[in-house]
Amino acid sequence: MRAIDAGILICTECHELNRQDPDTDEQTCTRCGALVHARRPNSLMRTWALLITAAILYIPANLLPIMTVNSLGQGAPSTIMAGVIELVQHGMFPIAAVVFIASILVPTFKLVGIALLLFSVQRHQPLSARQRIIMYRFIEFIGRWSMLDIFVIAILVAVVNFGRLASIEANLGAVAFASVVILTMLAAVTFDPRLIWDNTESDDDHD
Amino acid sequence: MSDPVDTPQVSDLPLEDLVACHECDLLMRKPELAHGEKALCPRCGYEMYAHRYNVVERSLALVIAALLLYIPANFLPIMQLNLLGQSSEDTVWSGVVALFNTGMQGVAVVVFLCSMGIPLLKLLCQLAVLLSIRWNVGRNYGLLLYRIYHHLRDWGMLEVYLMGVLVAIVKLADMAALSVGLGLACFVSLLMVQVLLEVVMSPHQIWQALSGEDEHAGD
Repeated sequence: MRAIDAGILICTECHELNRQDPDTDEQTCTRCGALVHARRPNSLMRTWALLITAAILYIPANLLPIMTVNSLGQGAPSTIMAGVIELVQHGMFPIAAVVFIASILVPTFKLVGIALLLFSVQRHQPLSARQRIIMYRFIEFIGRWSMLDIFVIAILVAVVNFGRLASIEANLGAVAFASVVILTMLAAVTFDPRLIWDNTESDDDHD
Repeated sequence: MSDPVDTPQVSDLPLEDLVACHECDLLMRKPELAHGEKALCPRCGYEMYAHRYNVVERSLALVIAALLLYIPANFLPIMQLNLLGQSSEDTVWSGVVALFNTGMQGVAVVVFLCSMGIPLLKLLCQLAVLLSIRWNVGRNYGLLLYRIYHHLRDWGMLEVYLMGVLVAIVKLADMAALSVGLGLACFVSLLMVQVLLEVVMSPHQIWQALSGEDEHAGD
């Protein structure tokens, strides 16, 4: 049985159980005072909005240069993919793999994965709830790691600072990329995982 | 593991005897946990809560250790680079400043928040919550701060920053003579203390102690 069927609401912040009060729209948790809802309001719509914004920014994030390496007066702008290719050409495969996974695979997987989750919850697809929850947890856990490239740029800009001899500056692609990471993290936070288990066959096991 | 409640009278049971998984909303009878045990949701496998020893005192020790490491971790040099007789240093803070000065103010703010601002705020919230439990003062503020802490949790990214340091070291190693500094050791220690703190400071016990339901939940 689900808590929602018993008229019990879980506080999303402190996890205290609250008995649903039918007379009010804005019920607060008896323990911590946060607003409690049976399901996060408009969770699907808000997640879609954040996700679509992220998908649009994903294009400039990958096409625009994220940083420019200036050496002896010559500037070489590089995109995310170019950075990975450069690492491969220098034979640094493990680090190239880490950057490739964090900067290219993870953001792409997150965009596709959250869209799949939303689609499967909205259409009541018989995609197993267990597959969905594994995907949700993976997306939630992995999301932060895409920030890697942004931190690398911050470190490089600070340390490679030798005037005309060599310097590194950040470019607009970095702004778009950071926005994609933040928006997809917000989308994962906005999505209510309890929706995954509503309308699934596996409910029958416990009713 | 606890059993899902199947009896039709479940909604009549007092709330204190029930627990619901906050990831899948399954309603169950509340299990009694001994020290060191944890309760997992039988449907989705989520760890609902754990019961640990001496939560408040151990967490307090870790928070203080983390706060002491915070300044050296962020302001001592992580690495030095030498190129044709010129040398330059990198700290977490100088990375933020350099981004800001090259016109990337937005990205600089994001890096500042994820690597310095939010980790510090998290530690201060935890310190205030633990002191509020220990000295039994300002519990309402404690509840508010602990809620804020839970919202900030995902946004502190020390471990990602450390990986960023490793990537930068590999990228630069070819180009110039590079040496790592004391700041890196402090940063790694700060990260480890913080990870340990997340494990030790069991939220369920902190909420109970904060709200006064069970004054000794954190002992």
